[in-house]
Amino acid sequence: MSSMVHHFPILLVAIPILAAAITMMLRSKPKLQTGFSVLASFSLVPISFILLMNVWNSGIQVYEVGEWGKYGIMLVADLLSAGMVMLSSFVSFLSLIYSLDYIEKRSLSTYHPLFNLLIAGLHGSFLTGDIFNLFVFFEVLLLSSCGLVVALEKDGVTKSTDKLEATFKYLVLNMLGSILMLIAVASLYATTGTLNMADISVKLSAMQAAGNLPWHVFAIGLLFIVVFGNKAAIFPLHYWLPDVHPTAPSPISAMLSGVLIKVGVYGMLRVFFFIFTDLHDMFQPIIIVLALLTIGIGAVSAVAQTDVKRLLAYSSVSQIGYVFLGIGFGSLGAIAASLVYLVNHAIAKSLLFLTSGGIIHHAGTRDMNKMGGMVNSSPFMATAFLIGSMSIAGLPPMGGFISKFTLFDAGIMGQYYKEITIALLFAIFSLFYMFRAWLLMFWGEKRDVKRYGEYSEHSISPMIYMPIMILALMVLILGVYAEPLLSIAQATAVQILNPQAYIDTVLTRVVR
Amino acid sequence: MNNTLLSLTISILFGIGTFLILRRDIVKVIIGLSILSHAVNLLIVSVGAFSGKDVPIITHDEVASTNTIFIDSLINGIFAPMLNGTNPTQYVDPLVQALVLTAIVISLATTAMIIILAYRIHEEYGTTDIHKLKRLWG
Repeated sequence: MSSMVHHFPILLVAIPILAAAITMMLRSKPKLQTGFSVLASFSLVPISFILLMNVWNSGIQVYEVGEWGKYGIMLVADLLSAGMVMLSSFVSFLSLIYSLDYIEKRSLSTYHPLFNLLIAGLHGSFLTGDIFNLFVFFEVLLLSSCGLVVALEKDGVTKSTDKLEATFKYLVLNMLGSILMLIAVASLYATTGTLNMADISVKLSAMQAAGNLPWHVFAIGLLFIVVFGNKAAIFPLHYWLPDVHPTAPSPISAMLSGVLIKVGVYGMLRVFFFIFTDLHDMFQPIIIVLALLTIGIGAVSAVAQTDVKRLLAYSSVSQIGYVFLGIGFGSLGAIAASLVYLVNHAIAKSLLFLTSGGIIHHAGTRDMNKMGGMVNSSPFMATAFLIGSMSIAGLPPMGGFISKFTLFDAGIMGQYYKEITIALLFAIFSLFYMFRAWLLMFWGEKRDVKRYGEYSEHSISPMIYMPIMILALMVLILGVYAEPLLSIAQATAVQILNPQAYIDTVLTRVVR
Repeated sequence: MNNTLLSLTISILFGIGTFLILRRDIVKVIIGLSILSHAVNLLIVSVGAFSGKDVPIITHDEVASTNTIFIDSLINGIFAPMLNGTNPTQYVDPLVQALVLTAIVISLATTAMIIILAYRIHEEYGTTDIHKLKRLWG
């Protein structure tokens, strides 16, 4: 068994890639294809859980692909990677179950391979220990998510022209982002002569200790802010997100908002706290300012939205700002808080997007002004949306309360009073826009009766409500029993701020 | 001299690419993106040393005679992996070529995807003018 556990990092990447290939070949047999895809996606959940437990109990796990030591590609699972993989495999399994009923049958045959490739890209970028490999997995992510955004859903509310336009914007901006990333990676390679992240970290530290750190390392850092900021949609680069997330089918919106923008956060943590170990103080003020602007712009834009999914997308922009605020503070407590925030936001936002898919299915429109009074016709969706809204707004006893509380606590401990005041102000905004959405959709009378006389009579299948129920339960559990998450986040933050253990595990290996 | 010319080429390509992605026509934007990715590929190649004499193939005998393959000692200021006791500039850096190959393949895939998107947009909207793509609010 222990030898099997050793292979878990590669299995988390290899299983989805294999499943993508097999589901591609099974396109003419929809039942078999679906079964295989769900099986592959489900198997990742226990594997990632065991990996996380293993990392928690016995330290960082390293898997050398091809046994080339630090000169080859390594998969490294520390607490951050393993935790992110756990989160993404959980959310993606639920999204896949949801999409079995939500996505149109015709699209579903190409949907499965692309979805599996998306999972492979996510897991690969979380687990890899090689910075060029990170770029490769970013591209896998990008291309497969582009294909998924244009997949058609059953209700047909979103026009395919909108999808094309949004995808074009997404693809162009992300191609520019990956070009910038290649420039940064090439410059790092020119400076340090290695692509292994641990090795780069050691060499940059050695250069700084010797006092001959070239100035362009700072420019590389700024480039990385742009690259990961573009992935995570922080302020000046956020404007693709409110187009792409609403036009994507709801399970894909849940994946994009729940996990995909977290890749940017992960990259930021990896690069600034790990590669630029001794230099990250310099970038903190930039990240704090960008985070505050992101919080503000996202919250103000969300207030005015009438389209439910667009509101959720702007809310994602605002919430990712809070995560970056914690990263910007950079203290142990703040990083732990932003990790807790990240997990809670991922779960709550996936819940909200999945629920909004059900609501749109039911009402036949995305415009909240045309809904209303839906609490009678779909009490289940109303409850789920309320739970998600409470978590995003930060009300107890939901997970969002814990995350906002720990973040503000860490900020006050670090004496960032002005920043915390601004963040608190916009936290009130988030309370307002989430409850405005809930009231518009579920409370009151039915509006616009002429066009939408009746909500469509449509029984919700278990494939739609089971994932929503599990996610809603998770939000509640993370709020009431937050101790395990808090202690894992604390341990992860310790590991992020003291990368020596990672470096030792990666570099002190026997090279053939 | 060679390096200056190469740098000049890269900078001109970057300039052309940046100019093109600011155009209104979708097709020009796509051409701009692929020119930019070629500029980056050249940049990656220029990163590696290519003035060495030997091909970077290390035979079994060399491994046996030195016992170790890779040495990179920070103390002596040697950053890249090299054979024990050899001059670091003796070998051509093989890694950048592998990186460029990967980058070329990836840019092929993304370019194919974006050309298909442009074609579909032209079908649906009847235009390739980016300013006419305004159904979403951004």
